[in-house]
This record gives sequence, structure tokens and C-alpha cells, in this order.
Amino acid sequence: MSGFHTVELFALVVFGVNAVLVAGLITLKTVHRRRTVDYDRRRSHYVTVLSRHLAFENCADPLGRDAATDPAFLDALIDVRRTVVGPELTTLGDIASRYGIITELMHRLRRGRSRGQRLRAAVALAELGDGSSARVLMDHLSDHEAEVRLQAARGLGRMQWTPAIDGIVNRLEVETPWLRARFADTLVGFGGKATAPLTTYVRVNHPFETYGPVTAVKTLATIGDSQAVTPLLEVLEEAENPEVEIAVIEALGILGGPAVIAPLQRKSDSPDWRVRAKVATGLGTVGDPSSAPILARAMCDANWWVRRNAAAALAKLPGGSDSLYAAIDGPDPYAGDAAAEALADRGDLEAARDRQAVGETTALDEKLLAYVEAVVEVPA
Amino acid sequence: MTPRILIADDSETVTSLLTVALQTSGYDVETAKDGVETYEAGKTGDFDLVVLDQLMPGLLGLEVIQKWRNEGVEHKVIMLSGVDDDRFVVDSFEMGAIDYVRKPFRLPELLVRIKQRLDT
Repeated sequence: MSGFHTVELFALVVFGVNAVLVAGLITLKTVHRRRTVDYDRRRSHYVTVLSRHLAFENCADPLGRDAATDPAFLDALIDVRRTVVGPELTTLGDIASRYGIITELMHRLRRGRSRGQRLRAAVALAELGDGSSARVLMDHLSDHEAEVRLQAARGLGRMQWTPAIDGIVNRLEVETPWLRARFADTLVGFGGKATAPLTTYVRVNHPFETYGPVTAVKTLATIGDSQAVTPLLEVLEEAENPEVEIAVIEALGILGGPAVIAPLQRKSDSPDWRVRAKVATGLGTVGDPSSAPILARAMCDANWWVRRNAAAALAKLPGGSDSLYAAIDGPDPYAGDAAAEALADRGDLEAARDRQAVGETTALDEKLLAYVEAVVEVPA
Repeated sequence: MTPRILIADDSETVTSLLTVALQTSGYDVETAKDGVETYEAGKTGDFDLVVLDQLMPGLLGLEVIQKWRNEGVEHKVIMLSGVDDDRFVVDSFEMGAIDYVRKPFRLPELLVRIKQRLDT
């Protein structure tokens, strides 16, 4: 065979292979597109039928025999469930039970052949939050797949299945840090019912570990139940770990109330600047005027964050403005900077400039404007 | 005459649910699935009420109202939105919306509000 024929044959083979690949790709895309269109059509049909069930009290429109095993139906059911609240959720729950959806999902979660199938079942059960799946979800709180465990917790949280609280709190001890935070999020759905188990967990574990208790404390702050204040104050007294202290101070600032003021004020002398900075923010959030002298002192702290947080807290505190304006022409230039920044953030500087423009400045306006102009001039 | 209602929402689930429920109650319903389509429909159509989502592709709900106003088009608008922000609720009323319903919503409650707003 001549060289020319070899090249010709090679070109033909390359062309043939390319043609087969392109044809295969087009076929795949066509099949995929048809499947997507078909899926969307089925989903749309299910949404319409479900809508009729919600709109007519005694609607008997059938969903189709395959609904229980059709992912398009599950998708539609979950989406409709997210759209409505109230008695309609009961209607949707009844439909899910009538068509055996929950039973099918529980079966898939228990005996699913692939990881994906089990995970999809867990996500769907979590989304549907049907009480009949609570026991199965409880069993899967210790599943070997992390995401399945998490979805089980999410579902139990959604249905507020209180017997699951201890099981979920226990996961905070064994999960990785990222998962702990997500498990903690599922407890928020339980509200005040999760307060006691979480505070117990924090009190028992804070001397031995950091991340779990810190996550639990943040969850308590998000739940916002004042019953957490007393146990958290006890933890604040005992804690030697600054990370735990910081989380507790932040939570106490959010939870607020008269009981937290004195303990927070005492922590303003902490040797750790991170604790002092968080105390300043916490005292500002609580908003008690008795904290003003402590925050004014904190504006002279050696650490910039503490000074900044203290000034920002004073800007929120009733009567805190006096301390801020006093710091402007006080002996500590760093405190002056922090105070001027906080006043500017609060809008005092802009208001002073507006009044200056119409010749109606007050004595405090002039003090602030003079300070800011002097600060601007120095670096130039 | 049958009242005409425009449902503007990018969620097919919401439009389907409301279409079925409102048609059952005897209303004439049209739907739009994005901001531009809503704006065009409202500009040319004669609707007695618009149920308007905020977060839609193309134009936001409040932008649609603003554009209608700029062109002298007035509609009774009920905002139906998942935006959980009091500031946004205030903005909606300031822009001329006559009611605000948060998603997820109670279907019977929304239907009663629609009926009331059509009657007033």
C-alpha cells in the first residue's frame, strides 16, 4: 500500500470515528431532552392535580397509578408543600399516605440499592416531614452516611418530634465540625423544647471540647429562649476556654435581660482581648445604661477591636453619646478615633455636615467636625 | 362581568395552584412567568387585580409596578412574596400595593383577600 493510500485510509477512519461520536452525542442529547420534557410534563400534570385537590375539598381526581414511584410526583408534592401552609399541608400529607409515598420512601431509605437512592429518600422524607416516618428517621440518626443522618435530623426537626432531641444533641459529640453546625441548625426547629438538652450538653462538655459546646451555645442564641440564661451564666463562670466564653458572652448579649448585665460587666477585665471585645458588643446589645462607664473605659483599651466595639456599643446605648463626645476631646487619641468612627457610622457626622451647610450647628456638631477635619489634615 | 386576574410568578406551582383555585371561584385568570411578561401583560391587559411576586427574572415585582406607574397604568396589586423583610412590605405599600401576603401562604386566606380587594 502506497503512502497516499495509508493517509487516505487513516483520514477515513478518523472521519468515521468522529461521525459515530457526533451521532452518539446527538442521540444522547435528544434522549436527554425528551426525558426532561417528559419529566416536566408529568411534574406539571401532578402540580395541577394537587392544586385541584387543594382547591376542591372533595376532589377525587386520580394522580395516576405510578405516582408513588415517579420522582416527578415527589418533586411536585414537595414543591406544592413548600408553597402553602395551614390545613393544606394535612391534605397533602393525606395524599402522600393514600398513594403510599411515605411507605415507599421509608422502604427506599432502609433498603435502597444505591447511595443516591437512599439519600434522595432521606431528603424527601425530611422535606415532607410526615409524622409516620419519625421512627424510621430516628433509626437513621446513626446511619453510616453522614448526609442521611443529617436529613433524618432535619426531618425530625421539621415535624418537631421531641423524642429525637436528645439523639440529635448527642450527634454534636461525634460529628465533624461542619456537620455539627448543620445538626445544630436542625435543633432550632424545636424551639424552647431543645433548650434544656442543649444547656445540659454544654455544661457537661465544655471543659473537654470546644467546637460542640460552641455550636450548641450558638444554637441556644438562635432559639432565643430566656430559660437558657441561668445555665449559660453558670458556664460563663466556670469556663476556662476563651472560645466557649466568647460564644456564651455573645449568646447572653442576644438573650439579654437584667441577669446578664453584671456577669458581662465583670468579664470586661478578662486578660483575653477577644473576650473583652465580645463583652463590649454584648453590653451594647443588652443596652443597659449602667454599662456606659465600663464601655467608656474600654474605648481606651490596648486592643483596637475592643476600642472599636466599645465605641459602637456606646453609640447604641441610651446615654452613650455623652461618653463618645467626651472621648473626642479626651486625652486618649485612640479612644477619640474610635468614638468619631462610631459617631460617623451612626450618622452623626453626616447630620452635623447637613446642619453646618445651613448654619445651624450645635456645640457637639462643631466638636465632631473639628476632630474629623484635624484627623484628615494630619496624614496629608 | 367576570373579574380578570393576572397571576405573575416564576413558580409554576404558584401559578397553577392559584389558577385552579381562582378559576374554580369563577374568575378569569391569566398568568405571567417573569417580570417583562408581567409588565407587558399589565400594560396592554385590562385586569381587575394583579397577584404579583417580587423575585422574578427580568424585572422585580416592584420594578414592574414602577414602570406601570411611569406610563400611567394603574392596577390593584396584591404582593405575594417570600421576601421576609418588613422594609420590603413597607416599600410595597408605598409603591401602591393594596395588600401583602407572605409565602408560603394559606390558600383560603389568599382567596378571601382577593375577593375582598376585588369588592372594594
